[in-house]
Amino acid sequence: MTVQIFDPTPEPKKDRHIAYAPRPISLAGLRIGLVDNSKFNSDQLLLRIAGLLERDYGAKTHIMRRKRSAGVPPSQEIVDEFKASCDVVVAGVGD
Amino acid sequence: MQLKSRHYDAPDISEAMELCYAKGWTDGLPVVPPTAERIAAMLKAAELEPDTQIAFIENRQVSVTAEKVAINSVLAGCKPEYMPVVVAAIEAIADPLYGYHGPATSTGGSAVFMVVNGPIARELDMNCGDNLFGPGWRANATIGRAVRLVMRNTIGTLPGVLDRSSLGHPGKYTFCIAENETDSPWPPLHVERGFKREQNAVTVMAALGVHQFSNGLSSTPEGVLATACAQMRISAGTARQPQYALVFAGEHMAIMTKAGWTRDDVARFCLEHTQISLAELKRIKLKDGEADAEDETHMMSLVQTPQDFLVIAAGGRAGVQSAYIPGWGGKAGSQSVTKEIRQR
Repeated sequence: MTVQIFDPTPEPKKDRHIAYAPRPISLAGLRIGLVDNSKFNSDQLLLRIAGLLERDYGAKTHIMRRKRSAGVPPSQEIVDEFKASCDVVVAGVGD
Repeated sequence: MQLKSRHYDAPDISEAMELCYAKGWTDGLPVVPPTAERIAAMLKAAELEPDTQIAFIENRQVSVTAEKVAINSVLAGCKPEYMPVVVAAIEAIADPLYGYHGPATSTGGSAVFMVVNGPIARELDMNCGDNLFGPGWRANATIGRAVRLVMRNTIGTLPGVLDRSSLGHPGKYTFCIAENETDSPWPPLHVERGFKREQNAVTVMAALGVHQFSNGLSSTPEGVLATACAQMRISAGTARQPQYALVFAGEHMAIMTKAGWTRDDVARFCLEHTQISLAELKRIKLKDGEADAEDETHMMSLVQTPQDFLVIAAGGRAGVQSAYIPGWGGKAGSQSVTKEIRQR
């Protein structure tokens, strides 16, 4: 006898679009935001990246802000500061 | 009852089980084929419509509907009457305080430790005694498993893909107990956390493995807890102050009862006696830098507050074993959450 079984995974979303922010053509003169995920040495890695972006790609300045935990999004305060003070933001998750 | 999920046909039950494997819907163990009849029974037991949203996982932008919880509960082998417990546990892991994304995806490898309180635990014959964390009780085994299958199948927390745990632990199959409210020296855990005794509730905590400790020499709380604290002190994990569950089994429970120690007494004792110097944390490389003289007297707490020890009464009556269970990461990333189990 045929057995019909139902799918536990989410139903496909047909109209899902992610609104990506427009990408800058060049980093020259732009202000960099760095999201420190709070893991050991994440700040050192990000500062080296900022150094490269400033030296090799002409970025103007950088600021770095630390999340309270790697597993959570940055606070609204950090997001607001980045929106007000930065043109591009470097964020990532890793150990 | 109209179900919206996609469905597939198999020639018989055996082939349906194999199809579930082929679709990647299992944790490695066989599952019960989720047929319309079984799914409807789950939804009816919880008095939920299929499209009712139980949780929304922000990081994944996934809506977990009652229909999906029911399908996974069938797969896990739940009886329909278990469904309200599974629903409450899913609500709990979606609570922002629990912070689903961190513990579910971290290399740190936590499982969802669940403690069920209230009359429903007895009604469902949930184990709160012998072989507490071991196999043998359908409700414990399948409720915990259903939560994991929702995480895997519906939220997409697949091992090696979104679940990047380096080691994991067996609690990721299932990790669900009831509290022994009858013999407990204390009010039920959910009462401690703001619910009424006659209410049903489930507490979830992102947890690492169970660490047993033995103490057959002491007849006082101080003695039993001295052993626990000595072991917890060096278990400081990443020194990031997670919460800890403390599970006291029968003989140790009796010692607490005889001495009249409250939960708060236990927690305060443990907070005081698990302090460790910053110097030691630096020597064992859980804190960065070289230890100096000042670090020797700079004491660090295992957890932030006494309430960050979840003191639980459960386990077999015989034996001198109890256990501590470190939480995942730090309290800033995830905290235990208690939700009412609603029987509508």
